[in-house]
Amino acid sequence: MIELEHVVKTYQRDDGTPVPALRDITCRIGAGEFVTIRGSSGSGKSSLLNILGCLDTPTSGVYRLGGEDVSRYTDQERSAVRAKRIGFVFQAFNLLPRTTAVENVEVPALYSGGDVDRGRALALLERVGLAARSGHFVTEMSGGEQQRVAIARALMNSPPLLLADEPTGNLDSAVGDSIMELLTDLNREGLTIVLVTHDERVASYAARELLIRDGVLASDRLQAARPAAATEVHRVLG
Amino acid sequence: MSWARTFGLALRTLRRNPLRSLFMLLGVAVGIASLVAMASVGEATRQETLRQFKRMVGTFDRVSVQPGSARSRGMPSLTSVEPTLTFADADAIEAEIPNVRRVAREQSAFDIDVQARDRTATTSIWGVSAEWMEIRGDDVTVGRGISEEDIETLARVTVIGEDLQRDLFAGENPVGQLIRIAEVPFTVVGVLVPRGAGPGGASLDNLLLLPVSTASKRLFNRDYLTTITVQLEDPEQYEAAVAAITGLLRERHGIVPPVEDNFRVSNPRAAMEQVQEVDSTLSSVLVGIAVIATLIGGVVIMSLMLIAVSERRREIGVRRAVGATRGDVLRQFLVEAALISALGGVVGVVLGVAGAAVAAFQQQLPPVFLWGAMAGAVLLAAAVGLVFGLQPAWRAANVDPIQALRS
Repeated sequence: MIELEHVVKTYQRDDGTPVPALRDITCRIGAGEFVTIRGSSGSGKSSLLNILGCLDTPTSGVYRLGGEDVSRYTDQERSAVRAKRIGFVFQAFNLLPRTTAVENVEVPALYSGGDVDRGRALALLERVGLAARSGHFVTEMSGGEQQRVAIARALMNSPPLLLADEPTGNLDSAVGDSIMELLTDLNREGLTIVLVTHDERVASYAARELLIRDGVLASDRLQAARPAAATEVHRVLG
Repeated sequence: MSWARTFGLALRTLRRNPLRSLFMLLGVAVGIASLVAMASVGEATRQETLRQFKRMVGTFDRVSVQPGSARSRGMPSLTSVEPTLTFADADAIEAEIPNVRRVAREQSAFDIDVQARDRTATTSIWGVSAEWMEIRGDDVTVGRGISEEDIETLARVTVIGEDLQRDLFAGENPVGQLIRIAEVPFTVVGVLVPRGAGPGGASLDNLLLLPVSTASKRLFNRDYLTTITVQLEDPEQYEAAVAAITGLLRERHGIVPPVEDNFRVSNPRAAMEQVQEVDSTLSSVLVGIAVIATLIGGVVIMSLMLIAVSERRREIGVRRAVGATRGDVLRQFLVEAALISALGGVVGVVLGVAGAAVAAFQQQLPPVFLWGAMAGAVLLAAAVGLVFGLQPAWRAANVDPIQALRS
C-alpha cells in the first residue's frame, strides 16, 4: 500500500537556512494494516503525514502509493489522488460550517468526478451511528458526533487508505475511545489506517507503531494482536 | 467539479451567508440601478427633446434663410435685423433654385401689445405667406388659415395662437371677433393647433399670424423679410440646396467671399443634429457616472470576497484535502461572485426601472424602458463580478491546505 524510500523533507527558513524535518525515512505499510505514527511535537510526524496524504511532496526520495510513484506528481495530480484514494480525519474535525451532516459527508464526491450519491452518504452516517442526525447542521453537534461525521466524509469516495491526525485530540477520553473503536472496526473491514498521535494510549489500538524522533524512524514494532489479516480486497461497507 | 454542481454549491453558500450576500448584492445593485435609471432618463430626455424640436420646426424638409451674418443669434425680428432679405430674394429662390417645392415669406416682430375689446396681451406677430402654415405643419382648431386671397387683397385678418384665445377671449371661439394692433382692427379667422412648450420651456402658442402683404404694407411698413422658409422636393439633397441658395443670394447681394454674408442659410436637420449631440453628451456623462458606481460595486464585491476568503481558509483547506484542485476552488469563488453580482444586477434593474418611472412621472414625460440596456446591465453586473472576483478567487485557489488545516 505505502512504500517510502529514503524520504527527506527539508524546509527553508525565510533567511534561506534549511531546516530538516524528515531526514531519511524508509518503510512499508501493507494494505489492511493499522499503523500509528507516534512522536513528540516537532519530531516530523506532521511532515510525514502531509507527504503520505499527498498534501506535500518529499524534497528527495520516493513515495509509492499502491505501487505508483506519486512523489513527483503535480498539484493537480495529487488532488486526484487525494480525491479517490485517501480519506482524511483531523484533530479539529474540519467540517464545513453552515452545512448539514450529510452535505459534509458528500463533499469529497464533488471532486471525484462521479455523481453525488446521497444514499451512500446517508448509509455512511448510519454506519458511524448518526442516521438520525443527517439533516442537522454540524455546528449543533457534539465533538464526538462531529468526528463521526468527519470519518463518514473520509469514507465517501471509498478510499483504500485513511489518514488520521490526532483524531481524539479534541475529545474527552470516553468519546475518544469510542472513535478509536470505530476506526478499529473499519480496519477490520479492510481499511488501511495510518494514525498520527503523540498519545501512547491511542497508539495502543494499533497493531504496529512507528516511533519518529528528530526526523528519523526510531522504532518500528508490532504490538498486541494484529487485526484481521491484511487483505488486498477493499470492501468498505459493502 | 461540474458547472451545474458549482452553481448549486455557490447558491447554497450564498444562501447560508445571507448578510454577506446581501451586502454584495446591494453593492452591485446600486450601481446597476443608477445605470439603468440614467440610461432611461437620458433616453427619455432625448426623445422628448426630439419631440419638442419637431413641434417647434415642424418637418425636416426645409431650409431657412435669415438676415444677418452667421454670428447672429436668436429669433430674427423686424426691429433688430438688417434689411437685407427682400421679397425679391424669395421670388428668385422660388424661380431659380432646383429642388424647391414652395417658399414661405415671413416678417415677424416680438413683444407687441394687441387689444381685443378691453383686454390687452403682449405677443409676437408673424406676417406670413399662404404656404407658411402648411410648410410648418401647422393647422387650425377652428376657422381657417391665411389664404392666397388674403395675401392678394391685403386682408385685415389674423389667425391666433391658443394663448391669445385664452388671454383675449377667455377661451371662447374668437372667429369673427376683432383684434386691434396699433389701432388697426383685424378680424380673427382661425385658431392654431397648440404646439405646447419649446425646448426652453417657453410657450410656442403666444403668437398671431397676419398675411405677410398686410403686415408689410398696412402695419409695419417694411419691405424686408425676417425669414424665408424654403421647402425642398427632396430633403436628402438639402446640402446642395443650401449651397445653391447661398450662391444665389451672394450674387444678388453682390457679396464675394471673403466678405461676410449678410444672411445665413440653415437646415433644421443640422440644428437638430447639434441638439442631439449635446443631449447625447449629457447622456454619456450620466452613464459614465453610473458605470463608475457599478465599478465601485465591483470593489465592494472584491473586498467582501477577500474577507470571505480569509474567513473560509479552513473550508478551502478541507476541500483541497478531499480532492479539490486549485481550479475547482477558483471556479467556486468566481461563480459565487458572478452569481451574486448577476442577482445584484437583476435587483438593480428593478430598482432602476422604478427610479426611471418615478423620474419620468416627476418630469411628466412618458417613461422609456430600454429592454436591451437592462439585459446588458445584468450581463455587465455578472462581468463585474467575474472581474472583481478574480483576485479573491485566485487568492482562494492558492491557499496552502497544510497551513489552512493546521489547528
